[in-house]
Amino acid sequence: MSDTQASSAETNQAESDDQTHFGFKQVDKNQKASMVADVFHSVAAKYDVMNDLMSMGIHRIWKRFTIDCSGVRAGHKVLDLAGGTGDLAAKFSRIVGESGKVVLADINNAMLTVGRDKLRDMGIVNNIDYVQANAEALPFPDNTFDLITIAFGLRNVTDKDKALASMYRVLKPGGRLLVLEFSKPESEMLSKVYDLYSFHLLPKMGKLVANDSESYQYLAESIRMHPDQETLKGMMDAVGFEQTTYHNLTGGIVALHRGFKF
Amino acid sequence: MPAAQLVSASIERIINHLLKLDSDSKAALAKLKGKRLTVKLREFPWPLTFVFSDKVDVLVNESFDNQSQKEQANISLQDTASANQDCRIELSFSALQTIQDSSQITGLIQRNELKLDGDLSVAQGFGDLIKNIDIDWEEQLSKYTGDVIAHSVFNAGKQAARKINKHTKALLTILSEGAIEEKNIAAHKLLVEDFCSDVNQLRSATERLEARLTLLEKQRLKTT
Ligand SMILES: C[S@@+](CC[C@H](N)C(=O)[O-])C[C@H]1O[C@@H](n2cnc3c(N)ncnc32)[C@H](O)[C@@H]1O
Repeated sequence: MSDTQASSAETNQAESDDQTHFGFKQVDKNQKASMVADVFHSVAAKYDVMNDLMSMGIHRIWKRFTIDCSGVRAGHKVLDLAGGTGDLAAKFSRIVGESGKVVLADINNAMLTVGRDKLRDMGIVNNIDYVQANAEALPFPDNTFDLITIAFGLRNVTDKDKALASMYRVLKPGGRLLVLEFSKPESEMLSKVYDLYSFHLLPKMGKLVANDSESYQYLAESIRMHPDQETLKGMMDAVGFEQTTYHNLTGGIVALHRGFKF
Repeated sequence: MPAAQLVSASIERIINHLLKLDSDSKAALAKLKGKRLTVKLREFPWPLTFVFSDKVDVLVNESFDNQSQKEQANISLQDTASANQDCRIELSFSALQTIQDSSQITGLIQRNELKLDGDLSVAQGFGDLIKNIDIDWEEQLSKYTGDVIAHSVFNAGKQAARKINKHTKALLTILSEGAIEEKNIAAHKLLVEDFCSDVNQLRSATERLEARLTLLEKQRLKTT
């Protein structure tokens, strides 16, 4: 019996009443969004630096893999949801070209602002829109996008099923969803090492670099509480996605889930 | 750990680094904007796609698990619309050797060792881009190292560069002098093929230079 299974049982229990988890804490469902907002508000400025530091740069490779699995072409419409500081959006903007469009959406204005400034400095202006939006209720018409990506965002969303259904709705028939998210390491050994890293080292690094150990404590906890590979696949199937598969990266520390709408 | 992405990331970095150093490359790159070139070396596990904008993005056409064939099929169906914007080359290492002799080309194609489809001008444009990269390495280096060291490092690099240039020029001569008319498809493939090998050579030359640069930079930091 693994920890993750235990914790996803807890999760289900929590989801059944008015409470949900915020990291390991139980909070009211209607509080979670603003608590998550506080976290990202406080990390926005240092977000990119911390990302590199925490993952030792590997997050770039994970994101690259995601882009390589996107099938995106010139002229496509892409939604980078919970897109934060715009790592994926920048590349998509170049791939879809002038005839395409990229929407960078995030619930958090501070993250969006950092993203917008960064992309503008890179010279990316023409084919990109910035939209402040909650993944649970996307403000786009049905059948809008060829591709939706959500990278390291889903675990912060209060009602993940609702969010997945919303993504399904705005995806065009033939379109695909890619969810890049922390997941469950394949081996016990790796799992232990990883826990040690994320619960002990990570908050310390957060304190040192961003002077904010609590936010990084939350990140570690939220990673652990996130549904494992099969659970997330099941959740995608349940809202209508087809040909759902996942691919473990770095021993399952991260997984990329893919589903199509037909 | 996705090795393919490590490789494509490095290639992308090197190409863009080169382009940034050469301000004249902008025009050549602008011609390619919005296009893509896919190169599949048969011995190499993944095809690489070069996407051109105001820089070059390198993607790996790698797919999920063992679904690759299905995916490939999907891609070719889906992409017929944009296919005329794109260029695809497929070849083997052995073809890379033979290709330098233009009389062999027809044979290569007949033996199915070389395939090209889509918009040839994309491959040509990419070739031009790489061929014309004109960087004053000596000047770049001396910024880091001072003139004397720059000069010696530069000479090593210059030899490699000269070789590549000669190679590419010969190729272009063949093309411009009518090889295309004689062997229509074959010449296309020749061009493309050779550019690929040029790019590879240039890439390794650049990598070596970059490594040396880093080393020199470190030494310099130590001494100052
Ligand atoms: C860890 S960051 C990931 C940013 C970026 N995708 C990346 O990979 O670097 C998570 C992002 O999710 C956003 N987020 C959290 N809850 C959200 C929601 N309900 N809807 C949309 N975005 C949300 C946060 O504001 C934050 O920017």
